[in-house]
Amino acid sequence: MESVSFWSSYLLWRDAVVVAVLAGVLCAYLGVFIVLKRMVFVSAALSSISSVGVAVAFLLASVFGVAPHDPPLLLSPRLYALGFAALGAIIFSFNLGHRRISGESAIGLGYIIASALVIVVLNSPRVAQEAHEINDLLYGNAVAQSTAMVWWTAATFVVVLMAHALFRKEFVFVSFDLEMARTLGYRTRLWNIGLFLTFAIAVSVTTQAIGALPVFAFMVVPPAAALLMASRLWSVFALATGIAVFAAAFGYYLSFVWSLPTGATMVVVAAATMIPGLVRLALLRRK
Amino acid sequence: MLIELGQVEVGYHGQAILPPIDLRLAEGAFVGIVGPNGSGKTTIVRTMLGLLPPVRGQVRYPRGERPRIGYVPQREQTDSTWPLTGLEIVLMGRYHRIGVGRRPRPADHKAAGAALAKVGIDDLAHTPFHAMSGGQRQRTLMARALAGEPELLVLDEPTTGMDLVAERAMLDLIADFPQQKIAVLMVSHQLAAVANYVHDLILVDRDRFQVQVGPIEEVLTNERLSKLYNAPVAVADVHGHRSVFIDRPPRGGTPARGLSALNREGAGERAPEREGKGKA
Repeated sequence: MESVSFWSSYLLWRDAVVVAVLAGVLCAYLGVFIVLKRMVFVSAALSSISSVGVAVAFLLASVFGVAPHDPPLLLSPRLYALGFAALGAIIFSFNLGHRRISGESAIGLGYIIASALVIVVLNSPRVAQEAHEINDLLYGNAVAQSTAMVWWTAATFVVVLMAHALFRKEFVFVSFDLEMARTLGYRTRLWNIGLFLTFAIAVSVTTQAIGALPVFAFMVVPPAAALLMASRLWSVFALATGIAVFAAAFGYYLSFVWSLPTGATMVVVAAATMIPGLVRLALLRRK
Repeated sequence: MLIELGQVEVGYHGQAILPPIDLRLAEGAFVGIVGPNGSGKTTIVRTMLGLLPPVRGQVRYPRGERPRIGYVPQREQTDSTWPLTGLEIVLMGRYHRIGVGRRPRPADHKAAGAALAKVGIDDLAHTPFHAMSGGQRQRTLMARALAGEPELLVLDEPTTGMDLVAERAMLDLIADFPQQKIAVLMVSHQLAAVANYVHDLILVDRDRFQVQVGPIEEVLTNERLSKLYNAPVAVADVHGHRSVFIDRPPRGGTPARGLSALNREGAGERAPEREGKGKA
């Protein structure tokens, strides 16, 4: 009965599922790099930093007396989100590791500081009345999507994956063995910045589309599940993106028919896909 | 001439850790960099490779262009969690020839296969790197360096963690490259292993702020080694092989050719008629 009502409400959920699937696939693909580079908190940090951009855009709109619902391009929250995330990505692309503070700790610091800044800015009296709109931009809404968001997500999906299709070899090389790439004359700093900018673009747009938690989860869980199951790089990418499609679509379906929170249900479904890999790992260890 | 170091000081954050180094590396050279752990060997190599800027002085390329360099890092530095096969890793050695945004061509696959065959592991082309033994991983990294058809091969501790047989096989393999006009710069803290292969030696001593560069017969002396390791070290010829011992050579060992005079001055003792505390 419930499934009948789900299928008959096709127009209600079509755009949301399309956005969730596109965002999930994009995040899972990039997540393979993030997991293998051992910097899983980079997506959470970039998401927070892009939120600072949104908060600053609203604050500036308030300062200049511009209506936040229809801002000029120079005060567009989406543009600020992208700009701040790009700036954060460039900083993270440098080797932040130090004898005293690891690179992962530096990323964690970025996350904490950005999260605190968002709270401070959004609680200022100047922007408090825009809270509802800001929340949608900051944390996304996986339940329903506007047509504009479908196009935004689709455009991001195409641009980022085209960049990776073209430069996959270079991105893999500088991620796997930076020093060897440098000895062969690669401008590794630029390639690393390029790779991190693709993370920034994907995170800032998909966070606005489906929310910070699903984005973080899609960047970590499907790649981790795929790495447990597959032993070739191409198959890890294929499996991770396949898991993302399943988790996004089936997670949405379950959330619809059981009235569960959409983003969190997608994350739980994605997490369940780790079970076969964990069983395989346990069996291999027993041998 | 491939690379020239003119009064190059190496170090970090503007602080030199070793005195100025003069070095010229020609085609077919075979140079060892030896010193205790933490003595600055890898810092010299990283400076020559352009991974670290010199504190002072200049790394010059007399031909006007950087030679093709094949770098074999310490294998612990290579991340084995990446699900890459031997062939995929070896192909990386040709990426700079393939060009940005292009896929490897059949000729690149052929060259990578040939490099794997050269180091004797062509049967491991499709084996995941993480499933290989330590020696096989080292050979894979060497094949990657060879796949780029290097003029200079830089090896950082290529025999670390290997058993005696694997170490010997690896060193024999490396010793072939200078005969093929590939210059080799090999970093090792295993002096005894290097002593029988290299033509020139760089002895590095960060604690005493010393670097000695020269043909092995001139540099590998009891006196210099004893100072470097802060222990009585002796060099002896055992069954035609140059061996290095802490304290004194074992019974039957004779001073290595060309080293007799220095041996007498160096450790300061004649080899007694008893088993020494040998350390190879």
